[in-house]
Amino acid sequence: MASDAKKGAEGEEESGEFAEFLADISQEIAQRVASLSPSSKSTPIQKKERPAPTDPRVIVDWENIADRMIEEMR
Amino acid sequence: MSVVNYGTREITCKIVYYGPGRSGKTTNLQHVYSQLPEERKGKMVSLATDTDRTLFFDFLPLDLGTISGFATRFQLYTVPGQVYYAATRKLVLQGVDGVVFVADSQSRQLAENIESLQDLHANLAEEGLDPRTLPLVMQYNKRDLPASEISPIEELDETLNFRGVPHFGAIAINGGGVFETLRSIASIVLGRLSAPVAKST
Repeated sequence: MASDAKKGAEGEEESGEFAEFLADISQEIAQRVASLSPSSKSTPIQKKERPAPTDPRVIVDWENIADRMIEEMR
Repeated sequence: MSVVNYGTREITCKIVYYGPGRSGKTTNLQHVYSQLPEERKGKMVSLATDTDRTLFFDFLPLDLGTISGFATRFQLYTVPGQVYYAATRKLVLQGVDGVVFVADSQSRQLAENIESLQDLHANLAEEGLDPRTLPLVMQYNKRDLPASEISPIEELDETLNFRGVPHFGAIAINGGGVFETLRSIASIVLGRLSAPVAKST
């Protein structure tokens, strides 16, 4: 029946019971493929958090380290 | 288990129509086949033999074309319902993704339905598949027979559908309920599609 015509897989025209089935299934497959896609699961690499210093003698963060090194070498 | 293969960009799902002899499994496949557009009609294969040593089943490859960039195929199988084809039923169930249990609605066939359902569970367990979780849909066929000869759907459901899976009344001989059943099992199977597990190197 022409009135039952639906777009099947990737734009092909189908009709009848099979067309309805294909239209429903195509939608489900598209959603499923998108949700399972390896690219959709990738997450940006988190910057590793610096651990909080437990010993006050340990220098964890040393600003302007190059300047300090030059100063030390003088 | 059916997987989305991102390497070959393929999705293949195997669906088996199970049930007692003469319940209408082949009729389901024949209706699906009859509705396929000519360009999609592959070969529906029916193998019939006298002995259990030879394959005896129906096979309908359903090529759905390319969907979201994936070549998608459903493989529909029936098992021989007769009790003595037990080995063939086990063979056909290998690698199954979903089952349509086609029950005969006739009251006098209730014992055969129960026996076939028990047989399904036993065979799935032997295949290492959990009968409690495998995608399953019940179809109560032959609803066109006189009411005096068939059991009400509620009664069939209470007796056979202890998992409470989707169920459909059907008149497969004229196509009634065939695609509704197929759509339901396909939907459940697709919902369980998984991405392939990456191989460790």
